[in-house]
Amino acid sequence: MSAVTEKEPVVKKANRLQVTKLNNKMVNQYWEDLFHAKEQGKLVCWTEGIQINPILQAADIAWCHGEAAAALMAARKESAVPQAHMETLGYDRELCSYARTHIGCGILNQSSTVEAQTLLDVDGRTLGSKIPPPDMIISAYPFCSTGQQWDNEVYRTYGKKVPIFNMSLSWTWGNKPSAKYMSGPEYRENVAFLKKQLQDCIRFIEGITGKPYDWDRLTEIMTYTKKAAELRLEAMQLCKARPSPASFFEWTNSIAPVNFLPGGPEIVDYFAQKKAEIEARIAQGVGSVPVEKYRLWWDGIMNWNKIGWLSDKFAGYDACMVAGRYTHMGFWQEPQVIDVRDPLDGMAQNYLTCPISISAPQVIEKIIEHCEFYEIDGLILHAARTCRAFSYPQFMIADAVGKRLGLPVAMFEGDMVDETFYKDEIVNSRVEAMLEAIDASRARMR
Amino acid sequence: MNAILERLAGVAQNPYEYVKAWKQEHGGRAVGTLPMHCPAEVIHAAGVLPVVLQELADPITSGGGAFFPFFCGYTRSLVDQATEGKLDFLDAISFTDHCVQLLSAADVMRIARPQIRIHFHQLIAALDEACSLENSVGILHSMATDLEETLGVTITEDDLRASIRLFNENRQLIRSIYDMRRSGSIRLRATQMQHIVKSSMIMDKQEHNALLRELLPQLQQAGKPPRDALPMYASGHLCHAPRPEILDLIEDCGIAIIDDDLYHGYRYVSTDVDESIGDPILGIATAYLNKNDNAPCPTRLAPHTDWNIWLRDKVTECGAKGLIVLLAKYCEPHYFHYPRIKATFESNNIPHLLIETEHEGIAMENLRTKVESFAEITKRRQ
Ligand code: SF4
Ligand code: SF4
Repeated sequence: MSAVTEKEPVVKKANRLQVTKLNNKMVNQYWEDLFHAKEQGKLVCWTEGIQINPILQAADIAWCHGEAAAALMAARKESAVPQAHMETLGYDRELCSYARTHIGCGILNQSSTVEAQTLLDVDGRTLGSKIPPPDMIISAYPFCSTGQQWDNEVYRTYGKKVPIFNMSLSWTWGNKPSAKYMSGPEYRENVAFLKKQLQDCIRFIEGITGKPYDWDRLTEIMTYTKKAAELRLEAMQLCKARPSPASFFEWTNSIAPVNFLPGGPEIVDYFAQKKAEIEARIAQGVGSVPVEKYRLWWDGIMNWNKIGWLSDKFAGYDACMVAGRYTHMGFWQEPQVIDVRDPLDGMAQNYLTCPISISAPQVIEKIIEHCEFYEIDGLILHAARTCRAFSYPQFMIADAVGKRLGLPVAMFEGDMVDETFYKDEIVNSRVEAMLEAIDASRARMR
Repeated sequence: MNAILERLAGVAQNPYEYVKAWKQEHGGRAVGTLPMHCPAEVIHAAGVLPVVLQELADPITSGGGAFFPFFCGYTRSLVDQATEGKLDFLDAISFTDHCVQLLSAADVMRIARPQIRIHFHQLIAALDEACSLENSVGILHSMATDLEETLGVTITEDDLRASIRLFNENRQLIRSIYDMRRSGSIRLRATQMQHIVKSSMIMDKQEHNALLRELLPQLQQAGKPPRDALPMYASGHLCHAPRPEILDLIEDCGIAIIDDDLYHGYRYVSTDVDESIGDPILGIATAYLNKNDNAPCPTRLAPHTDWNIWLRDKVTECGAKGLIVLLAKYCEPHYFHYPRIKATFESNNIPHLLIETEHEGIAMENLRTKVESFAEITKRRQ
């Protein structure tokens, strides 16, 4: 087979969607606004995990989403400095790399150490130091206790002087058979508890701003958010087409509008344009990769240092990464349950059904549904070394999908924003072995 | 005295053998729990034997194909025990902690071994929030109801009160051993102390209490040992016991561990349930939320508590000359807190040594050199 070779794997340029440029523009604008938020008299909240930004936006508070900040640093090849700074302070590199990068930014933004000075942006300020320090911290992490501990570290890094609101998201384990995906008493209890905490969180915000909360504004923001999320899902589903007009990598490039960008007409317009571009590609028979011989599923969190590079690498294998757990099972993935006039229940439901907030038996069922829908030929399992929340069920996923759908898998280690855990040679050999397995099984079917 | 200590050591060394024998002898049932905050009183009140599942020293075999090697040794061992069928003697597992690695392991275990019923009731990790008490009470009620349904029993308030009394007595007995050890009136090696606590996690509390009641006067009669070793405080090692050979190695280097906040140590017995609180579930929930003041836990969120400061004060109070931090590799909650502990001990000029342990074991000769030089430096600083 063409893709498997003793030599260096061929790298082909994936067909990037034009609309991605608009995403990048919105993202840059968001960061610029955040860097200058204090000058504009805005309060700043640091948060990670679930998308509580609409709640903050309605109170006219600026927000720094920790994972987004870490991904930004990685994309600009600047995550190594805060990470090294954390290691010097004694934080082990086995800790969540998002947390290490973000807390490192917090330390950098308070310090004028030599390390801080090495992270100079064009205008002479460190990127870490440009993120304004928090006026409040809201901790709201699904499933992963590391997320809560990360917020706790941020809180302590700022000398316990910044008010923090700790939300606790309950995991629907399924003690009774009645606990199903998005239904059953156990699930409803957990939604109700989170909804109550969101209400308490809004009171916490009111206490800080000294103003009554603007519920109408939240409705308006959630109207845009819901519409954007619906368009995104519709556009994703169009990628069932052969060849697939957009890849998982294009969806990772579109996380920001449904994760941390402000809710407004821009994000709706963005996904409308993206959908239109995808429809045009389908009409013209244009695929995301020059030749689509294999359709793959990406399981695991994204490797942000490698996103463009991996996209071309798989294009070189004539493989389209059609969909993935990170993109297709998260980020307002269930918009239909959001009642924009009374949005907290629906928001809580979305938070509690993100891909790390549902237990492995449900994750497996969902992945199987997606693999069948997108007619997937094989699974790439990216075991993010420092995101155990994402990686832990992967042996079970491999086993179940292998048994039920007969799909081969390639598993390799990497990370979200710590490059040092990624080994290219291992990726090459595992992916090539998997593609060979697909070829062998196709040959048997002939 | 030695006979009792040997009996406790035997249980600590072969925990599941004890449980299997107990089940046979009593025709009873056993429910496993996972560390570190699951209130076993609730399980005991259901008329079954609660057992804190332990890390086994056995090498990871089939579990290695079900769980990644970059998880803590405890969770990897748990998964391996499940895939190897070593937990099949349990009638159920019930747990309440949501460390991401623990919860991950439990999720893998239930798929790998569907015959083991595993139930989870998430106790809130944020201890200081307005909803923390109400939520804890609610969770404990649902845990009790779930146990009733799973085991086909009824748990009355009186059952809960009786269990609380029994568990409080056990904690008090162990704490009194700690008091004597701290004051220097008795000398127990760290492994012996571990055996006492670890066996309490496994044994029928009634039996354990009876043994401790017998042991206590014997310990006192044995008299005050000469205190020639360097007194030291041991901290950390969450969820699973540090290997006895590591503790022995430390103490063989002229050190005496006189106090600790280990889970297989003081942490496990730090807090009683207030029996004067009329509603026993409310009593257990209150104890759960207060426990952090008596032994700060890095898996809990309690803004008013600082483990590093608490540790500095404890080390000073007990007269230890330094701190040995035992950290299980990949334990993220501990990794998050260690830099502050390090900074606090450095700025207070109190010697401290970090020992990172691994399920597969660590190079003992290197460790010996490290501990010896730490002891030397500490002695010179005195
Ligand atoms: S380990 Fe993963 S899920 Fe947990 S806080 Fe880090 S990135 Fe989030
Ligand atoms: S607290 Fe540490 S030792 Fe316990 S399960 Fe979590 S990672 Fe493992």
